[in-house]
Amino acid sequence: MVVNSSQRRMSITAMAVVLSAIASFSFGSSTRVAVALSAFLTLLATGAAIFTTPGLRSSHPVVVRAALTITTVDVVLFATYFFPANTNTNLATGAAMSIVLLGLSFLTGASGQISLGNGAFMGVGAFAMAIWANHHATSPIVVGLLVAIVSGALVGLLLGLPATRLRGPYLAGMTLAFAVAFAAILSSFNSWTGGDSGLQLPTAATPPHWLLGFFDSGTSLLTTNSMWLADIAIVVTGVAFFFMANLFASRTGRAMRLIRDNDVAAELVGVSLPRGRVVAFVVSSAYAALGGALSTLIDNAVSPSTYSFALSITILSLIVIGGIGTIPGALIGGIVYAYSNSVITWITNQTGLNPQGNLASQLNGIIFGGLLIVTMLFAPLGISGTARHLWRTRRRRTPR
Amino acid sequence: MDPFLTSRIMTDLLGGLTNGVVYGLVALSLVLVWRSTGILNFAQGAMPMVATYLGMGLLSYNLSYWPCVAVAIVAGFTIGGITERVLVRGLYGKPEINPIVVMVGFLIVLEAVAAAVWSTKPRGLPSPFSAIDWQIGGKPFGLSDFSVFEILTAIGVMAVIAALFRFTKLGLQLRASAIAPEVSRLLGVRVGRMLTLGWMLSTAVGTITTILVASNYFTGLTPQVMDGVFAFGFIAAAVGGLDSPVGSIVAGVSIGIILQFVGDYLNSNDIILTALLILVVSLMVRPNGLFTRSSARRV
Repeated sequence: MVVNSSQRRMSITAMAVVLSAIASFSFGSSTRVAVALSAFLTLLATGAAIFTTPGLRSSHPVVVRAALTITTVDVVLFATYFFPANTNTNLATGAAMSIVLLGLSFLTGASGQISLGNGAFMGVGAFAMAIWANHHATSPIVVGLLVAIVSGALVGLLLGLPATRLRGPYLAGMTLAFAVAFAAILSSFNSWTGGDSGLQLPTAATPPHWLLGFFDSGTSLLTTNSMWLADIAIVVTGVAFFFMANLFASRTGRAMRLIRDNDVAAELVGVSLPRGRVVAFVVSSAYAALGGALSTLIDNAVSPSTYSFALSITILSLIVIGGIGTIPGALIGGIVYAYSNSVITWITNQTGLNPQGNLASQLNGIIFGGLLIVTMLFAPLGISGTARHLWRTRRRRTPR
Repeated sequence: MDPFLTSRIMTDLLGGLTNGVVYGLVALSLVLVWRSTGILNFAQGAMPMVATYLGMGLLSYNLSYWPCVAVAIVAGFTIGGITERVLVRGLYGKPEINPIVVMVGFLIVLEAVAAAVWSTKPRGLPSPFSAIDWQIGGKPFGLSDFSVFEILTAIGVMAVIAALFRFTKLGLQLRASAIAPEVSRLLGVRVGRMLTLGWMLSTAVGTITTILVASNYFTGLTPQVMDGVFAFGFIAAAVGGLDSPVGSIVAGVSIGIILQFVGDYLNSNDIILTALLILVVSLMVRPNGLFTRSSARRV
């Protein structure tokens, strides 16, 4: 009997699943923990098996991407159980930001345009989520997130329509004007957006009862809450990355890269330029809105001062540093964002600067702005693009 | 006296004109850089801001007003030149987002450094002329000594720039190297120097604008003093056409007047919204600006 490699892999995976289930039930302190543990290990084994199967990557790329996403999300979810509360909060913040960055990465990487207003689009989503939750207190979180995505996409469409005819820096300037005007827009819808003080969510996102059962009785509510929020953020981020990876690889994604590289050639082969540009812009603002809605959920409130022009600039810096136009770049940028404040505080402490002094309060701008310039001048592909480039040139040089 | 001179409409018109020439100057400085190097300089507000701090900071060393202004303008020339040589030189011919990102980064760095060195506390600049409105028949007329000075300065700067470009050999070289760099180089024009000069001129114009803004408005001189003005100036430049100096000035003045009326008759929040609306609508109607002749794009 001929056993090919994929059949062998399947049997190994099945064995691993059975073994892990047995192990979970013998080591788990209760049935619930055992079920959770075996589910984790099963997903891990299945995902790893699919991901490593040779040939599947080219024949069924979507399946492989799904497996990769599920495995990663699975591992991170499992890890949140052991993390302290502040790590989980950082993780959730970083995950929300990485969704925003993914949208901007797509806009630039796929269509060659740039937006200086993604902080404002993030604010659109954040306020849409808060307003929806205040009017429909009992609606599930997913509905709120969808409302935020739709409103972000609509605003993006509104601003993106003139973008269909714009070339060069006009779009950047227009999105800059939108970011600057966003505070005024919010305050002219005062009765909805709560003016300067912003909005509170009516109820904080609390973990369901079955989840609370996993914890020891002494575990604080803060720990469970931050874990729950991190889990939501990670699952949403996984879904967002999965969709984006497929979009990048799809016909639409290819058409957009052609627009970026040579728009005349794109038109000649029948790609509609206006459509491509609008789609890229709408997708990017919808992603920004989703990230903003998650931030509202994490902070349990939304304030207009958060979504200033400075945030848009931070978003731009993060994706440029991470690697503009790449998917891993968005993840790197999200991680940088989650820990940027800690790092800057650390630098302040190490250098003995006065934390209330002028220099310490401006360190954020100096470092991010400097990194933005240095990255663009010397490594315009960012961390992820440069790493990929190095990897490829190394592989080409080493004889096989 | 004619009551119309002190009416609300007249006051708004004159106030709008005073603001509008400032927007026009910012737009003009953007156009100078765009025409010579094809880069939209997002640090166009921040570079002159630093020059103004450097020059007007000498006021606290008992230097009188006009020498300080001269020092600030010289600092503006220098900063513009250095920026072009160090930061911008390597960006020509790169994808169009590269210069945008670098200049945005430069904007952040300059504002942060300025705030670190000079703090974010507003610094009042002494005004060389009275900013109190003239009185006609006991009622305020919408102009003051200072706003007349502002308008005259703006007209003067525009006239000098126009004369430079139109009537001097240097202006001809500047125009030639913007339109046909290769041909100009063959004919012996130092194109690189012309590009640097374009940036120097633009930053110097920006410095004059910043001094006007910082002594006119109640805000005083802060690291962010030009942020709002830059937004309106960019809108003016985009509406008028980044290729057209005349268009940008006309658009700047018109936008200043329109926004003054909006702020007076509607709500101060509506000013920036109206500006955004003007930008979006005008870009939809004429994507390359109202005053630009549509040009064929080379493939």
